[in-house]
This record gives sequence, C-alpha cells and structure tokens, in this order.
Amino acid sequence: MAILATERIAPVQPRAVLPAPKYRKVFGVGRSRLFQYVVILILAIFVIAPIVPILYQSFTDRPLYEAGGILTVQNYVHLFTDAGFGTVILNTAIFAVSTTVLTLIIAVPMAVLVVRTKLPLGKVLGLSMQWPFYISSLILSFGWITLYGPAGFVSVVVRDAIGFVPWNLYSLGGMAVTEAVALAPIAYVFCANALRQSDASLESAAQVCGAKPFRILFSVVIPMLRPPIVYASILIFSMALETLSVPLLYGTPVKIEVFSTFLYTNGLQSIRPNYGILGAASTLILLVTIATVFVQAKVLKNSQRFISVRGKATRPRRLDLGWVGWVGAAGILLYVIFGATLPILGLVFRSFTLIFTPLQSPFKTLTLDNYDRIFTYTAYIQSIINSVVIAGIGAVVISCLALAAVLVAKRSNFRFARAVEYLALGPQAIPGIIVGIGFFWAFALLPNAVGGLLQGALAGLIVAFGLRALPTAFGSISPALMQIANELDNAARTSGADWFGAFMRVLRSLLFPAFMGAIILVFVTMMKEYSAALFLSSAHTGVIGTTMLELWVQGNSGSVAALATIQILITAVFVAVASQFMKGHADA
Amino acid sequence: MPEVRVSHLFKKFGNVNVLNDIDFTINEGEFFTLLGPSGCGKSTTLNCIAGLEQPTAGSIAVGGTPFVDTERGVYVPTEERNLGMVFQSYALWPQMTVAKNLAMPLSIRRASRSDKAERIHDALDKVGLSHLKDRYPHELSGGQQQRVALARALVYSPSVLLLDEPLSNLDAKLREQARAWLKRLQEDLGITTVYVTHDQDEALSLSDRIAVMFEGHMTQIGTPKEIYERPATAHVAAFVGSCNFFTGTLENRHGRVCQVRLDSNGAIVTIVADGDFSIGQEVTVAIRPEKLTITPEVADEPGVNVLRTEVLTRSYVGSRYEYGLRLGRNVVQVVSANGGLDGAVRLVFDPEDALLYPGVTIPSQEAQELMTVSA
Repeated sequence: MAILATERIAPVQPRAVLPAPKYRKVFGVGRSRLFQYVVILILAIFVIAPIVPILYQSFTDRPLYEAGGILTVQNYVHLFTDAGFGTVILNTAIFAVSTTVLTLIIAVPMAVLVVRTKLPLGKVLGLSMQWPFYISSLILSFGWITLYGPAGFVSVVVRDAIGFVPWNLYSLGGMAVTEAVALAPIAYVFCANALRQSDASLESAAQVCGAKPFRILFSVVIPMLRPPIVYASILIFSMALETLSVPLLYGTPVKIEVFSTFLYTNGLQSIRPNYGILGAASTLILLVTIATVFVQAKVLKNSQRFISVRGKATRPRRLDLGWVGWVGAAGILLYVIFGATLPILGLVFRSFTLIFTPLQSPFKTLTLDNYDRIFTYTAYIQSIINSVVIAGIGAVVISCLALAAVLVAKRSNFRFARAVEYLALGPQAIPGIIVGIGFFWAFALLPNAVGGLLQGALAGLIVAFGLRALPTAFGSISPALMQIANELDNAARTSGADWFGAFMRVLRSLLFPAFMGAIILVFVTMMKEYSAALFLSSAHTGVIGTTMLELWVQGNSGSVAALATIQILITAVFVAVASQFMKGHADA
Repeated sequence: MPEVRVSHLFKKFGNVNVLNDIDFTINEGEFFTLLGPSGCGKSTTLNCIAGLEQPTAGSIAVGGTPFVDTERGVYVPTEERNLGMVFQSYALWPQMTVAKNLAMPLSIRRASRSDKAERIHDALDKVGLSHLKDRYPHELSGGQQQRVALARALVYSPSVLLLDEPLSNLDAKLREQARAWLKRLQEDLGITTVYVTHDQDEALSLSDRIAVMFEGHMTQIGTPKEIYERPATAHVAAFVGSCNFFTGTLENRHGRVCQVRLDSNGAIVTIVADGDFSIGQEVTVAIRPEKLTITPEVADEPGVNVLRTEVLTRSYVGSRYEYGLRLGRNVVQVVSANGGLDGAVRLVFDPEDALLYPGVTIPSQEAQELMTVSA
C-alpha cells in the first residue's frame, strides 16, 4: 500500500525516450531480405535440379554422364518412329479421358446429394470420402486385384454363379474405373466446397418463385457447379496422366503401356536403357503436365470470380428429394463399400491367410506366415524403417521449407515473391517417376563426393519425395496464413519488429496448428510415395512401396497384403497421435 | 513532438495512380485528419507515412528526419520509424494477453523489466484498463480492444500517432463517446496525430485540420470550419455534410453579387461569391439544408431569393424536421424546427449562405437522380 501511495503522489515523469530498434545490415541487406533470398535459392535448386538433366539428356546422343556428348534431336525422332510411343500416347489419352469422365460421374452427384439434400447417413457418407488420404493408390490396386482381378475373390464367386466374369480388370477400362474410384474423392471435395460456399438464398429465391426441389437442383444448384467441375476435371486429368500404380499392376501383364509405365519399362526393365529416349519421353510428358497445370491455374483464377460468397455465413438449406434420396444414399454406399472398404478389408484379411479364394474357406488357412516372411528378411524390415524415417524427417523439413515459402510468397514485399509461389507449387506438374529419373541423373552429374552421398541414400529419397510433397504442404499452410489478418504483422512492424521478427514474435504461434497440419499431410504423402524411389533406391534404401512391388513380382501376394496392412497401420497411428498433439495445442 | 512533412507524394499500383502529388505539413501536436470516400488514397497516404507502403515518388520526413526520399534513395523501414499505429481491426495479437501485447514493443526495444512494467501500467492507466491486463483480446469488448490497441501504440512513446479508422468498428452510440474520449486523450498527450476516416462527423469534431481527398488528389486542407462553410469544390460540399445542388446559368454580375437563373424552375437567385465567373457561364449553386428557411405562403411580397415551392414530404427525425420541397424538377432538402408546414410554401435563403461553383458539377449522379421528380 505504501508503494502505491507514493506512486500516486509522484508527478508523472516524462520517461526516457525509447528509440526504435536498429537492425544490422550486411551489404545493405537486412536479415529478412537475406532469409528471403535463401528461401528462393533453395527452392530454385530443389525444383530445377531434376528438370535440367532431363532436358539436357533428351538432346544428347549418349548417357549424360559420359564425356563427349553431342547435341541432337535424334532422340525425339526415335521416340516417334520406332519406340512405339504413338500407341502409348493413344492409350494414355483414352485412360486419362475415361478416368476423368468416370470420376465426375461418381463425384458430382455425390457432392450434390451429400451437401445439398436431406440424405440418410449424409454426414457419415461425407466423412467417409476422406479414405484416399490414408490409402495409397498402389494399395488400392492390390486390393482391387485381390477381389476383382482374373483370379480375385469376387470374380470367382461371380464366375461360379453365372459362368463367366462380366468384367476384365486388366484393360484400359478396368484401369480407368479403378483410378476413377481412387480420384473421385478429390473431385468430390472441390464440388462439395463450392456447394457449401455458395449462397443459400439463391435457392430460397428459387423456392419463393415456386420451384420444386428437383427444379431447384437442376436450374440453380448444378449450373453453379460448372467452375469446380472444370477445375476438378483438369486436375483429375493431369493426375491420371502421371499415375503409375494402376497402369503398372494392371497393364504390365497384358502389355498396355501408358506414359508412366513406358518410362518405367524403358528406364528400369530394359537391360541397357536408352537414356536419350527416356529423356525425350520425360520432356514431352513434362510439357503436357505443365500445360495442364497452367490451364488449371487459369481456370481457378477465373472461377473464383464465379463463386458467390457472402460475408455472412449462411447454412445451406437442404432439399428434400424423398425416395430419390434413399436411392442416392444407396449408390454412395455401394461406391464406398465396393470401391474402397471391401478391397482394403480383403487385402487386410488376405494378409492373414495362405490362400484367399471362395473355393476354400480362408479361415482354414489363417496364418501369420505372411508377416513372418517380411520380418525375417532384413531388407524388408529395413524398407519399413526407411519409409518411416523418410516420411518423418521429410515431414519436418518440407513443412519448414513450405512455411518459409508461404511467408515469403504471401507476406513479404520481396521482388520475387510470385516466383517463390510458382517454384513451391510447380512440382505438382512433375510426375513422381520423372522426379526419380531427374534426381537420378542430377546426382550422377554432381561431383562424386556429394552425388555419392545422395545417390542411393535416404537423403536422396527425402529430397525426391519431398519435392513431390512440397506443393501439398504449401497448399495447406497458405490458406491458414491468408486467414490471419495482414494488420497483425503490420502492427508488429510498427511496434518495431522487422519482417523476420514479426514472424517469430507474432505469426509463429498463430501458424503452429497449420504447421502441424502440414506435417501430418507431408508424412502421409511421403509414406504413400514410391515412384521416385524406383530409380533412386539401392538395395538398402527400398521403401515399403518398392518392396511391395518386388514381392508382387515374385508372386508373394500374401506378404504384399501384410506390408500394405503395416503401411496403413503406421499412417493411422501417426495421424491419430499427431492430431492429438495438434488439439492439445489449440486448447492451450 | 515533431512535425510531419509530406511532399509531392505519388503512388502507382500498376497503371493506376493512387496518389497524385500529395503535399502537406502537419504541425507539432496537431490532430490532422485525412478525410475522403473509400478508395480515395487516404489509407495509402497513412501507410506511406507508416512505411507499410513505399511511395513511387516523393518524400516524407518526421521532425526533420527523412523517412522516405525517392530522389535520394532514402527509405527507413517501418520498424525503425518509431511510430505508433492503431489499425481498423485493432490488430491485437490474439494469442497474447493485454499486458503481453503491450510488452512486445518494449522487449523489442530492450527495455528493462521494471521500466517495462511501469510503462505498461502507465499506458493502460491512460486508457483506463489497467485492471484488465491479464485478459486475452477475445475476452474484451470492441471498445476495450480499441483502447488496448491505443495503449499498445502509445506504450513506447512514439513520435507520431497514426490512426486508421479506429472507431469504425464500434457501434454508433459508443462511437460518439469514444470520439470525445479520444479527443481529450490526444489533447492531454499533445502527440502529433494523423487520423484517417471516411466519417465526416468524426473528422469535423476531432480535427485541428482536415485534408479532404478524392481519387488520389488532395482537394482541400483547412480547419473543420473552413471545410464545412467554404468547401473548395462541389465534391467537398457534398461529402462533408449534406447539400442541395442546382444547376443554372450566370445572368448578371456586379462585383461579388451574382444573379443565377436556375435550370429547374427558371427563377433567378442572387448569390454572393468570390471567384472567376463570366456571364452566360453554366454554374452550380450549392446550399446546405440548414441554411434554407421555409416560410408560409403569405401576401405576394417577393424579396431576394424567395422561391415558391410546395411541400412534398416531411419527416420527423427527433430533434428537427426534414422537408422535401419541390422546386421545378428538383427535390430540395430543408431542415426546420417547425413541423407544421404543408402545401404551398416559400423557400428563402441569404445570398451569403449559398455557394457557387463553375460548370455543371453534380457530385453524385445517382444521388441527383433520386432527388428528381417528374414535373
């Protein structure tokens, strides 16, 4: 009390002036600017490293690490004349187009039904669309073959019942259906988000005018979906162009080649691979995928003008479709059960049996042998450990890089901010197998000490997988940053923090949940990734995916199923633990 | 408290000139307001002073220290300018308590622990919130958040205080009290203050001087009285307070006394005006609603500026009545304490109370359309 009293008596003394801080500069550049240059430099090296060797190789007459290479266009001529590339282009086009169409047929009605109508079990069905996040398309393909393949469980049941199997999984059609089932959730998410954001009062207006639910659906709701449908189809198309798993497993036995399997067979399976043709094919594929990404970016830019978002959140009114709703719910249920649940459960079950066929009860041959085989070979155990290490380290490193890139791209006056964004998002245009080829050659070109360190080492795989995961991480952190008002960092700046200080003192803790989210995403993405490893792995640095392929080729489908089960388990455990951590932080 | 000198400031975004030759000086301790409609460049000007935007050309100096000088290549980054700024959204850091919000600028300046505690206490005391120092921003009301933002901007004794529409997020009733409180605080502290607003009432009641901006140009700088009573252009007249506009032709002129024939009803009115007008020229007459008087129609005794009109509408708005009168095709707005007027009336105004602008300068086409009736 005494202290308080004296304080009150004492006249208000003008305090000593606290001058604004001075920040040190090196060559006239502050630490913030320096940081920004470092970020763009890392990104540029990271993204350009796999592309330049491919371009160079495509115009060189011999393997690029051999001396005396001569520049030539001969590789491209060869590619189109005698390498059978024409058929490959045709196959790829048929596969990609039919995948896109099928995906939309599955996804668009589903989004409309789940978001905009009173659907039985609507919420559960909507949530179940997240399954592809946990399960790689490689595992899904194994599951489909186990059930619907020529000797699959369901195929045999059907043959016994009606005398023949009305489908052939090992065809372009079978490939497209499987791929469409795997990609439908992506298209679903786009359409569902657009439907959630659109203004519900538009529908109320139609209702006031006297329109019935179906009328509203077809003349108001579905026309508004045009932008997300266009965007999703381009995205699905480009993903179908680069996918490896389904074409590799379905197409190889019947010799149907698409872009990715062409690179796989020419690069890995021939005894003396023709690097020139490999480079030329990779370059062409890159051109196509980059073109689709450009179109995609352009469409997205335009589509944002369409979407009607009002400041006030309006709860979408759900239309009542009556019995049609039940039919819709049944359709979605069929998709979820036969598309994903049964194949995955079948695969898990397969991992615990010796033989998996309806001809003999699988319960008679329950066994742990499949797991035993994996855990007796050190190389197989090693591949599991490798996958976890790669995904674990990669998740942290790539999320940090993505966070830095988002900050520079979205929250700085750096001259090359846009370039940083393009570099961070660019890798989505590079198919995984081309990333593998590119880094393989890039490491070969490096001086022995450095190249040797990366070639065939886990570090090399982290780099290659990381490149593939970077756009995902960037895309997940960026919206979180955009939601943080710019005025918060401006307030830090006027208070005396430099750009870097504003991040460290204010934004860092606000962005922590988004950063954890990115870590989860990157971990799962890298856990599922394997295509780049086909070129980069040595005997000791295989990952779960490459080991599964190896076991598959050997005919060990039981162990493949066991390994798939292990991968799903690791992913699920990691996501569960990491989300808990995220939640704990958000509460604090 | 230093003066702020902004000279020949230009800012381009792409091909759009957002600021055109903005030039003004703010005196020490002055409360200076940048007033204008949204998109006029007032916030850009403030951000240039704060260093959050870099001008394309021009210079800014505070207390003789150059912050920006494009010709000499001088640019002091925001964090080294030692300015205090309050943002429209208050921009309190949501993850920190009130005390931590205030502590951050102090720890950046490496203030000692005891100095920090004292300064935080003083600053919160000034805004009357020292009892809330352990609350988080989301636990405070809008008005409290706004005061915390002000305390945070003042806690390190900045040289100039920049306020970017700080009252616009408060509800209407609280805003009036916050305005009066802000005025007292600024006078107590004597800190040079730059205030940005689109609200003319705020600008008039708070400011020592106002700069009115339109489309990147500074149209008029003056005291609130000058701005309201002698607006430099019809745009300023329309933006600051409400105003009736009539187009017409200058018929005659004797010194400052001008005779204008109104387009709306052909009547001739007399206006005392400075400025260069030539006979036959098209002009715009502007009269504020409260400068017009309505008198009942009595025996025919035409005087100066007596216009015959009739009452179209009458609205009771609490302290007064607002009338809409028909004048030819135009509706004239008049404010009156008398609520009993109806039918044919007369409209009277003093020649000194009307303003005359050259040319047909109707500030808002849309507003003018709404003020037109079929004859």
